[in-house]
Amino acid sequence: MSAKLNVRNIRKRYGAVQALNGVSFHIDAGEILGLLGANGAGKTTAVESIAGLCEPDSGTVEVCGIDACRHPNEAKQRMGLALSATSLQDKITPREAIENFGSFYRHRVRTEALLERFDLNGKADQPFETLSTGQRQRLALALAFVNEPELLILDEPSAGLDPDARRNMQASVREMKEGGGAVLLTTHDMEEARQLCDRLVVIHLGRVVAEGSPASLISGSRTTTTVSLRLTPSLDPQSLSSIDGISAVECNGAIVSFATADVNRALAQLIPLLNSRAIAITELHAQKATLEEVVSALMNQN
Amino acid sequence: MMPSLLRQIALNVRLNFRSRMALIYGYLFPTIFLLAFRTLYRHERLPLALHAGELLTVTILGGACFGLPTGIVSDRERGVWRRYKVLPTSALSILGGTLVTRYLLLLTSGILQLALAMAIGMPAPRHPLALWAAFSVAAIAFMGIGLDIAMLAANVPAVQALGQCIFLPMLIVGGVAVSLASLPAWAQHVSAFAPGRYAVEAIQACVTGAGLTGSRATETRFDLLALLAIGLVAAAAGVRAFRWDTRQRPSPWLAASVLGCLATGLATEFSGRVHSETVQREEQHNASEYLPVHTPTLQTDAATSPSEQQPIGASASSGPTVSKPATAHRANATDPATWQDVTREDIAGVAFERLPADTGVVAPIAGISDEPDPEIADQLQQLQSALPSWQPGKSGDPVQRVRNYLYAAAIADVSRMDPLERFVPLVVFEQLRKSIAAENLPKILYFIALHPLDGSDAAVQRLHELGLPDGPEDTRLLRNRAMMYAFKLLGRITVAPDAK
Repeated sequence: MSAKLNVRNIRKRYGAVQALNGVSFHIDAGEILGLLGANGAGKTTAVESIAGLCEPDSGTVEVCGIDACRHPNEAKQRMGLALSATSLQDKITPREAIENFGSFYRHRVRTEALLERFDLNGKADQPFETLSTGQRQRLALALAFVNEPELLILDEPSAGLDPDARRNMQASVREMKEGGGAVLLTTHDMEEARQLCDRLVVIHLGRVVAEGSPASLISGSRTTTTVSLRLTPSLDPQSLSSIDGISAVECNGAIVSFATADVNRALAQLIPLLNSRAIAITELHAQKATLEEVVSALMNQN
Repeated sequence: MMPSLLRQIALNVRLNFRSRMALIYGYLFPTIFLLAFRTLYRHERLPLALHAGELLTVTILGGACFGLPTGIVSDRERGVWRRYKVLPTSALSILGGTLVTRYLLLLTSGILQLALAMAIGMPAPRHPLALWAAFSVAAIAFMGIGLDIAMLAANVPAVQALGQCIFLPMLIVGGVAVSLASLPAWAQHVSAFAPGRYAVEAIQACVTGAGLTGSRATETRFDLLALLAIGLVAAAAGVRAFRWDTRQRPSPWLAASVLGCLATGLATEFSGRVHSETVQREEQHNASEYLPVHTPTLQTDAATSPSEQQPIGASASSGPTVSKPATAHRANATDPATWQDVTREDIAGVAFERLPADTGVVAPIAGISDEPDPEIADQLQQLQSALPSWQPGKSGDPVQRVRNYLYAAAIADVSRMDPLERFVPLVVFEQLRKSIAAENLPKILYFIALHPLDGSDAAVQRLHELGLPDGPEDTRLLRNRAMMYAFKLLGRITVAPDAK
């Protein structure tokens, strides 16, 4: 499968801050890649380097096989971008903005189709300054799709969207994937990343610290599982001190919870103890770490 | 690229007309300036005609050095340019659309001003096409500077501050709102390094002067070249230093923008153009414009100019010789050697119909039936009383005597002593009739008209004795106006007493 985006070892420094320190990743056709990281991790700089908003100090960015640094306009012809905060002239209308932006591209989607797709028909001829945050975000998405891009870059696309608009956006992204396009998505919404993305790249302090599918990142993480038990009668938490490999023991009435990296081993020690004291387990929950916890843990480790 | 550029220009124009602030700054303020100028120069007979250069330059200055950078910086602050940078186009293309749009707005604003000025009595510009060219070149110069301000300023308040730093000095010591002639020498030197004076001079020359032709053509073309140099260098630096994003720092390339101003200022200095007289804004006419095109051919010696006409009271053999005329004569006009050699045919050949209208800007004369305003009656009376005893009017040489009297009419014109200026020639004419024999006066006037640079101009420093301002050191224009009045008074004697 050919890569729609290939980022190789890009570095970017702003004064004393090394915003990107050798970041590499790629996105294949028909793939959605999530770029995750805390604020200041380097996500925005990476997106700006790809989109041509800033020039990396070193490294290469290839969009559909085109060197984006050497031939920025050719690369831009193939990509669509929705920035986290898109601003346009106060008096421009969505219809005018779509028509104007579209005029710069060789291939373009009909204005009416985009207005319809992003539910902007009712506001098509209203000035930008009168649009709500959600309407502005929908317009930003419409502008990102104006040239039928092969590579779509969405920077925090859900910010400000209501649930319906969010579903529409996600549907458009999936549609693009099914059509063989590639999507780069930055988001702080881990659930969205888990649902939408085929692969995730976690950036921290300008470096890629993890990469893989959401499931593999979660399963491969060294984060613990939280086990909760409802016991009858209740158990003195001190009794659990003899069990190896558990931590963060908490007791709240009949409910006892602890964290462990190996649930089987912990339960194998716990059940004989409960049997010896005639304590019954009425409920048992084991919750693997969430993506958010995994990402947070990855950043803490680095 | 072209369709997107045109689309962008059309869109920018539409957006501008939707913005109340843009309309206020683009059209209301220039109209207020126009009314202010009209009020300031309310006593001038031809409203605003002599200040069109200043007025239109102020309009361009405001739109290009405030409106343009304010729009660019405001959009940059709000992230609009950042979004445009993601488009597959260049800074030049995006800026090109913005600059062309601003030019169109300036142009419409200028047209509105001219229309309003003409509605309140200003005559139509004499050279509309040349005016369009001068206005456009001035717009390029100021938009180049406006672009540099936009690239230098971090935010809109900084644009206002930088704009004022350019606007006010340009108005006061840059030759825009205060005429160069009334500025001290140091200010005239300073003004040579800024575009204001060139814009005012070039535009004025096209409104009331000779446009891109005539005796000031070289000067006007120099003004246009100066504006073009300043504008193109500044615009190139501005495009090179374009900042899409507030995070970008001003580029060192902006320093290059001063090169245009520097080169122009030095060229003005070294070509001796720094010291401008007010009068240079006006057209200098050429005597040959009013002379007949007929044989015999007049050249610089008698042998090549056999006159077919019999001079009055002199033989043709005395032969014409050209006496250092200021302006080139028509090759085949007659040129008598002395005033006595002037013939009736010479006078009859003058194309009086080509003279500027008596009601115009150049060499105006009141009609016989016109009554002076009461406010100038005393001044005219004083002049009437002073003329007979004025020492230069008692010169033994009748030609010099007439010439000296004509300087009185000329100084009122070049000093724009409205509403007095058009009545002074009538008083002078009356005095000439009293002091010169009726049969000689036409011949002397004709002779003076053909030899505007002859004779002494010492009398121009004694005009204060008549209650008029003394003449400038450079008397070329004064002599030129004396020539015009010689033609016009000659016309009054020979054609119609109250012509035009």
